[in-house]
Amino acid sequence: MAVFDTPQAAFGALRPACVQLTRAQTVENVRQLQAHLAAVSGAALQELQEYVLFPLRFALRVPGPKQERLVQSLVQCISSVLAATCVRKRELLQELFSELCTCLAPPPSSGKPAPLSEELKLAVIQALHTLMHSAYGDVVLSLYQPSTLPLLGFAVSLLLGLAEQEKAKQIKISALECLQVLVLQCDCQEHRHLDEEEAQQCGDLFASFLPGISITLSRVITGDIKQGHKTTVSAIRLFYLIVGWVMSDAQLARIPKSKEKLPVEQSRVSELMVHRGPEWSKSTAQKLSLLLHKVVESSSVHPHWKVRLELVELVHHLLSNCSQSLVDSFSHLLKALVGLVNDENSEVQSRCNEVLRGIAEQRIVVQNRALADVLSENLHSLATALPRLMNSQDDTGKVSTLSLLLGYLKLLGPKINIVLNSVSHLQRLSKALVQVLELDVTDVKIVEERRWGPPGSWQQGVQRGRHQKKYFRFFTEEKVFQLLQQVCRVLGYYGNLYLLVDHFMGLYSESGLYRKQAAMVLNELVMGAAGLGVDVLQEREVPPSVDDLKGSITSILDEYTDQANWYLITSIDTEEGSPEHSVQRSGLTARPGGPCSTVLLPSLEPQVTTRSMNSNIWQICIQLEGVGCFAAVLGKEFRLLLLSALYPVLEKAGDRTLLISEMALGTLADICEACSYDSVQCLINENSDYLVNGISLNLRQLAHQSHASQVLDTMLRHSDASLLPLVEDIIQDVLSALDQSYNNQASTFLRVLHSVMTALVQWFGMCSTEEHQQRQTDKGQSRTQSQGQHEVTMTRQEVERFFLDYVSQKQIAEGDVPDTGEEEADEVPPLAKAEPNHCDTDGEAPLPIHAQLARDVMERCIHLLSDGSLRVRLKVLDVLELCVTVLHPHGNHLLPMAHRVWPALVTRLISDDPLAVLRAFKVLCTLAQTCGDFLRQRFSKDVLPKLTSSLLSQAPASARAGPVYSHTLAFKLQLAVLQGLGSLCERLDMGESDLNKVADACLIYLSAKQPVKLQEAARSVFLHLMQVDPDSTWLLLNEVCCPGPCEPPHASLRPVTLGGMGRPRNELTDNVLLLLQRLQQQESTGPGASTREASPP
Amino acid sequence: MALPPPDPQFVLRGTSAAIHTLHFSCGGQEPDPPVLFSGSENGLIHVWNLKTHRVDTALDGHGRKSVYCVETMGGKDRLLSQGRDQRICLWDLAEGRTSVTDSVCTEHVGFCRCSLVQLAQGRWLMATAAKGLQEVQVLELPSKTSVCTLKPEVGAKLGMPMCLKLWQLSCGSQPLLLAGYEDGSVVLWNVTMGKALSQLICHQEPVMSLDFDSERTKGISGSSEKVLCIWSLNEQQNLQVYKTHELVNAGISDITIRPDKKILATAGWDHRIRIFGWKKLKPLAVLDYHTATVHCVSFSEHRNPRERLLAAGSKDQRISLWSLYTQS
Repeated sequence: MAVFDTPQAAFGALRPACVQLTRAQTVENVRQLQAHLAAVSGAALQELQEYVLFPLRFALRVPGPKQERLVQSLVQCISSVLAATCVRKRELLQELFSELCTCLAPPPSSGKPAPLSEELKLAVIQALHTLMHSAYGDVVLSLYQPSTLPLLGFAVSLLLGLAEQEKAKQIKISALECLQVLVLQCDCQEHRHLDEEEAQQCGDLFASFLPGISITLSRVITGDIKQGHKTTVSAIRLFYLIVGWVMSDAQLARIPKSKEKLPVEQSRVSELMVHRGPEWSKSTAQKLSLLLHKVVESSSVHPHWKVRLELVELVHHLLSNCSQSLVDSFSHLLKALVGLVNDENSEVQSRCNEVLRGIAEQRIVVQNRALADVLSENLHSLATALPRLMNSQDDTGKVSTLSLLLGYLKLLGPKINIVLNSVSHLQRLSKALVQVLELDVTDVKIVEERRWGPPGSWQQGVQRGRHQKKYFRFFTEEKVFQLLQQVCRVLGYYGNLYLLVDHFMGLYSESGLYRKQAAMVLNELVMGAAGLGVDVLQEREVPPSVDDLKGSITSILDEYTDQANWYLITSIDTEEGSPEHSVQRSGLTARPGGPCSTVLLPSLEPQVTTRSMNSNIWQICIQLEGVGCFAAVLGKEFRLLLLSALYPVLEKAGDRTLLISEMALGTLADICEACSYDSVQCLINENSDYLVNGISLNLRQLAHQSHASQVLDTMLRHSDASLLPLVEDIIQDVLSALDQSYNNQASTFLRVLHSVMTALVQWFGMCSTEEHQQRQTDKGQSRTQSQGQHEVTMTRQEVERFFLDYVSQKQIAEGDVPDTGEEEADEVPPLAKAEPNHCDTDGEAPLPIHAQLARDVMERCIHLLSDGSLRVRLKVLDVLELCVTVLHPHGNHLLPMAHRVWPALVTRLISDDPLAVLRAFKVLCTLAQTCGDFLRQRFSKDVLPKLTSSLLSQAPASARAGPVYSHTLAFKLQLAVLQGLGSLCERLDMGESDLNKVADACLIYLSAKQPVKLQEAARSVFLHLMQVDPDSTWLLLNEVCCPGPCEPPHASLRPVTLGGMGRPRNELTDNVLLLLQRLQQQESTGPGASTREASPP
Repeated sequence: MALPPPDPQFVLRGTSAAIHTLHFSCGGQEPDPPVLFSGSENGLIHVWNLKTHRVDTALDGHGRKSVYCVETMGGKDRLLSQGRDQRICLWDLAEGRTSVTDSVCTEHVGFCRCSLVQLAQGRWLMATAAKGLQEVQVLELPSKTSVCTLKPEVGAKLGMPMCLKLWQLSCGSQPLLLAGYEDGSVVLWNVTMGKALSQLICHQEPVMSLDFDSERTKGISGSSEKVLCIWSLNEQQNLQVYKTHELVNAGISDITIRPDKKILATAGWDHRIRIFGWKKLKPLAVLDYHTATVHCVSFSEHRNPRERLLAAGSKDQRISLWSLYTQS
């Protein structure tokens, strides 16, 4: 289609259509005109604007009823003309405006909008919209004169009516947008910016519409949700734009006291005008407050996030424009804003935060006393209602309530101190927090779960210790707890730390009911004060100094680790509990308590309930957690406090209650991290002097001995040989404490001694035992070698020499030592050395410290070996074994001790519980490694008869027994004896008669009827016997069963007849043949291999 | 019934030798931690930081021979130590230095601790047992000029000096010396004139330690017997026995009156520290912690009374710190 650029050409093109339309007003003609318009350029059309508009306006103005379709097309056509041109004449603007409004005007009779079609309404609204945009420059202002007020008011009420009452969303939204343009607040940027004066005038005009607009809009906003969120959003936007304009602080400040007189001719109009004086603004603010309250209430819970977002904008706009005029509404507005901080929609959240931050940064609250008052008032009423709300609300409700609380605190920022300085505020707040944080202490599991054995891996414990979930009475949602945490931290961040710590310490000691919660709050306060994990809107002016923090922390720490708060009853263990608890109790009561001490001390209650124990456990855990927090807060500075803090934590790491020990491990890990130690090991190692001090002092008090031993236990497990001097020092303390209380604390101390000795074996024992074993095997090898040699060739001389050797060896074996310098000669006869406690008089090199310790410990073991309790005896035997291991390289010291131990040990071996016999036998085996000669005679005299006879007497029973037998103690005993006996015989270098006894006793265990394990063990005995005396063993075995005839090596010798020859196969045959085969191998392949195989399994 | 005696506040370990002498220096400004010097049998002087309760430095200047006296001269940067190597060393510890600036050879073979008194800023008078068996030498420090040598009259068999205490009635007045001797007597010397003013035989056994309160002009001495002896000095400068106090166990190795002159502490061979009221010698407490002879007791002069401490060093290689002020 051709485009007409010049007005002339355009005129030529448009004229026929215009003429046609003037003649006959039909839809067809309008359409034709519109078709022609499309071909005309904007510039050309501007020239012809009035010419083209004339027929259209004429058609509208024709009196009488018109077709709706015609009106609609006319309006659309006008709108398309206006879209392409701009209106430069005031009159034209006003006329067009009123003509368009009239299209929507209702019939004069009814008050309702005309029952027009929706298309028409939409067209008119759009035309108005276009008209307002096409008004050129200042022209548009001509509409906003007092004289045009009625016209404007008409349009406004029309549009409001449409917005409120129409069903169609499109119309509603268009009407609202059009209204927005009408009040000069269009979203597009094309409009001219009004200067202050003009804005003020428009404000005066709009003030007249304010009641209508605000009421209607609030109805729209709170209307049916089905109207769609866009409508609501537009309505909210319009609402705050108009309110923000009319009630703007800047404008109201410039309003003169009295109403200015308008010219007389406008007096009627002037009645409509509003004077925005102080009274007016006050009453309007009151009314608006009601409306705002409604608006906020409905839209803050609107399901669509855009509505909530718009609400944030509303608050923002009003807060920044009307912070004085609308101050009464701010409690609602801020509440809404603060509540939306934790909106589920992230966009709302972030915008909300932005706005809040903006408010904080502009110091609106800090500088505005009234606002701060409003906030603190809100805070107070919220705090008052908080416990009730926490009781009644569900978790989502709690989340929103707490978000609100948090928001208030954040907004108040540094002004928090005003609130805190008021006693009633602080009390309300703290009571509320303390009540909300009440823990659920009904779980029995927490009390029941015990830690068994030593703490396995640190990592595991640490992992669990850091993620201990607390169970609260009033809520389950984690989010609620996080909010509470933030509340406390924000308080700590802005608040006066001393004041807060003081107050909550007061609560802590006031009642046992509050203690756990107060501790929790204290922990978070300190975290907050240090600015850790706290999310705030504005920086505080002066962060507390490290010294302040340290001061507060030290006082809290002192309170936490005070005896009355640290040693609580957490279990009713009977195992080691009874003495511990009774002394705990006495320890607690002995402490002079405050006025309310009877309430404080749970131990005074007649019986300890699960509930109170659970509560105690949690209290300890929270306090432990606190120690971790404090470490995190102080960082390396915390190292100084380790002096007092490390010992108690470590004490709890060894607690029997799983939860506590895990929590303590977590705390240790926290401390490590904070004080930059590489590992818990390092932490303990580098601070063992502090620990040792604590241990030593606590050992002095009966009540704390078991704790002290736990700590020592833990410490030992994590230290190394470098600490030996310290350890030595402390062990002396332990021993002297033990000396003072053999009766009741023995088992506690034995545990310590056991760990001490284990540590010593670990640090010093390993190398020496290996060395020793090496020596042993060397010895064995040389002997077998010397014996093995003469089997190779059999000459007469060699046979003779063999017998000579045999005789001399037999003499040696019986203790008849020749004087010639053989190797056994320099082993001193045992009895000469056996006098006790003369070790140092020989002027030898002094014993190393660890060996001295082992000797001292061993001495205590002698006393305890005959303790009444089996448990103690077993433990003693374990310790004894370790002592012997440590003392290995120092035979001169070990022997006298062994001499003293012997009588008690024999009793254990001969007449004690099988369990004890088992352990004692193990000790015997260990002892035999060093004290072979010393033990030989005693063993054969005191123990062997008993052992062999019990083996013999038990054999029939085990031969008959079923599969369950292998789980019985008797079986284990048999097994242990059989397994140990062989090596024992070898080590002790037993005499022939004893060996025969052993062999006799063990022979029946070679029977196929015996359990397989016993057979194996019995075989091992014989393998050892082969080492000691291969020939007699060979003979013995052959007496039982002989695999083949023996050829004499020389013709001059008589053939041998052996007892086992030609016997039928019996139960022993298999094992005997196996053994003989091994013996054969051993003789042919050389001793080395066989000794290794023969070593006990 | 009174409260049970307290436990030590802390026990310092790690000297790995018997402790023979202790000396506090707590007067430093705030960032400087209070310090305790300890001299031990292996010849080391340990400087304990009383904030961390750990050894800051170990000074080695007496050839691994037992150190039995440590004193500060002014602040904690100037230290005097006396050892069994028969030397008295002067240390400069400022800014982390650990050097011996000067030393005096005493040639004395006993255990008699030297005694210091400040004459004026930077001028000190020191009394120490000398080479001659019964002699006491008085030197001025730091110049090391000999002031006089105090010799008992010919024929007086006092034996070796065992303990010394230099004092002035008031600042500027002439210094006097109290010396306890092997025969159990205490002698008051005028240092400037070099002559004995008074002699009091108050013990049957050697005087192991003495301390003197110049305000009340009363002193106390302990020996290897079971008796504590309090004596007073009258205007004529005559010593006379004021009171004796019977102990349960024999042997006192050190006596110190607290700087505020309210209580005193004794270090006993029976492993115990005893606290007495100074005025009437009322027994206040028996501090039982050590497992061997206590060799020395010392009070700190910290400005904050709550942080003042009593330290005791023992043959069991430990130093126990006690807080006695907070009890009251």
